[in-house]
Amino acid sequence: MKIICSKDNLLLGVNTVQRAVATKNTMPILQGIRLRTEGSSLWFEATDLEIGIRCNIPMEVQEEGEVVLPAKLFSEFVRKLPDTDIILESIDNNVNIHYNKSNFVINGYDPEEFPEITEFTSADIIEIPATIFKKMIRQTIFACAVEETRPVFTGILVHVEKENISLVSTDSHRLAHSKAMISDNDKEFKGIIPSKTMQELLRLLDDNEILTVQYNSSKIIFKFGSCQILTRLIDGQFPSYKQVIPQSCNTKLLLNCKNFLDTVERASLLSKDNYLKINNVRFNIEDSILNVNQYSEMGKISEQIEIEQEGENVAISFNAKYVIDVLKIIDTENIIMEASGPYSPCVFRPENEEDYLYLLLPLRN
Amino acid sequence: MVGQLHQAITEVEENLSRLLNEVKSLRQYIEYLEDENINLKRQLCAVSEADINRIQKNASKIQKEAHENLEKLYEQGFHVCHIYFGEQMESNCLFCNAFLRKD
Repeated sequence: MKIICSKDNLLLGVNTVQRAVATKNTMPILQGIRLRTEGSSLWFEATDLEIGIRCNIPMEVQEEGEVVLPAKLFSEFVRKLPDTDIILESIDNNVNIHYNKSNFVINGYDPEEFPEITEFTSADIIEIPATIFKKMIRQTIFACAVEETRPVFTGILVHVEKENISLVSTDSHRLAHSKAMISDNDKEFKGIIPSKTMQELLRLLDDNEILTVQYNSSKIIFKFGSCQILTRLIDGQFPSYKQVIPQSCNTKLLLNCKNFLDTVERASLLSKDNYLKINNVRFNIEDSILNVNQYSEMGKISEQIEIEQEGENVAISFNAKYVIDVLKIIDTENIIMEASGPYSPCVFRPENEEDYLYLLLPLRN
Repeated sequence: MVGQLHQAITEVEENLSRLLNEVKSLRQYIEYLEDENINLKRQLCAVSEADINRIQKNASKIQKEAHENLEKLYEQGFHVCHIYFGEQMESNCLFCNAFLRKD
């Protein structure tokens, strides 16, 4: 293999696929990035067998071939390359990188050992505008579980029913649900996609692109621009989320998002309990005033926010982090909060936006 | 030859009479089952309103006790939802909450 390219192109390819490189030391070959020529372009590929990312970048190919280079060393080296024409030339499994009058040899792996990130053929294709899908991912991904005790909670449920698409995530303490319309679709799909894959989509998708989704019963492939992300669907049944969402409330509040966020963030500075590891913040809602009175060994805070209130007064406690998470992703000026007493789940919705809701269970004091 | 025919006819006669006896006993058994069926239907219709109330009350009592037990378990910090049932809770669970609220 012999190619001539710019530093920027190399860096673009490496940065695109690098997050799919295996971090655990299971198979050494998975710690590599495969470079493979195809016509006058170069494929960059990486996989940890759960997620695979491929990216195709046009380059001057003088000699066809493929190599697998250790990702960490290769990417660090590419970052430090000068801005000049770079020649990559393979000698067996190794690669000689020429730049200016210098060269650097990286010992690679046997490309035969690299697992194929195979595309599969499927008649089931759904097309979604990237702006819609990115917004939905941003609105739900933070509510996924981090711990892997229940794998279904570590992903986002994607549910497509003809022209309706829903994304749902939960860690069993809170639930985020975003829905949207996609035109000209008659397909149906229901699958749990790992949050890591969704994170990568969020990172790599450009707003003006159209995302093509191809799937079968166990795998899904996302195609956009010159990139492809292939991932396994998470096995298992996502719990029935609709029955968790309350249909009525006793108290309905309208709050200014920024003021509320600032207050919760300030109060949470005092509420971090290192022993219980619960970042508890308590709201007393009384006659259109939201009171936050927080104290700890470190100090005391007392704040009042004027709000619009319908219904009963209520005192309610939440994990401050869970409140901050939702307030950070809401784009509207105001947020609606619907509570039904101190122990029932509370619904947060952006004002005038029916397509999103966030459900949060209060803490019991 | 005539003797053999005579013997064969006697055998057929005996078989037929045995079959007839079996049919008769089956008829008796069917009559007995029909009677029993009618009796059972009568008994079923004869369950009094009080009995029905007693049974319903008992069922709801059992249901209430079961619900209280699950609530107690939840209060003590254990999951009662089908996802984590019996596991210790670190914090409240949406699915346990929905399950208890539904009942």
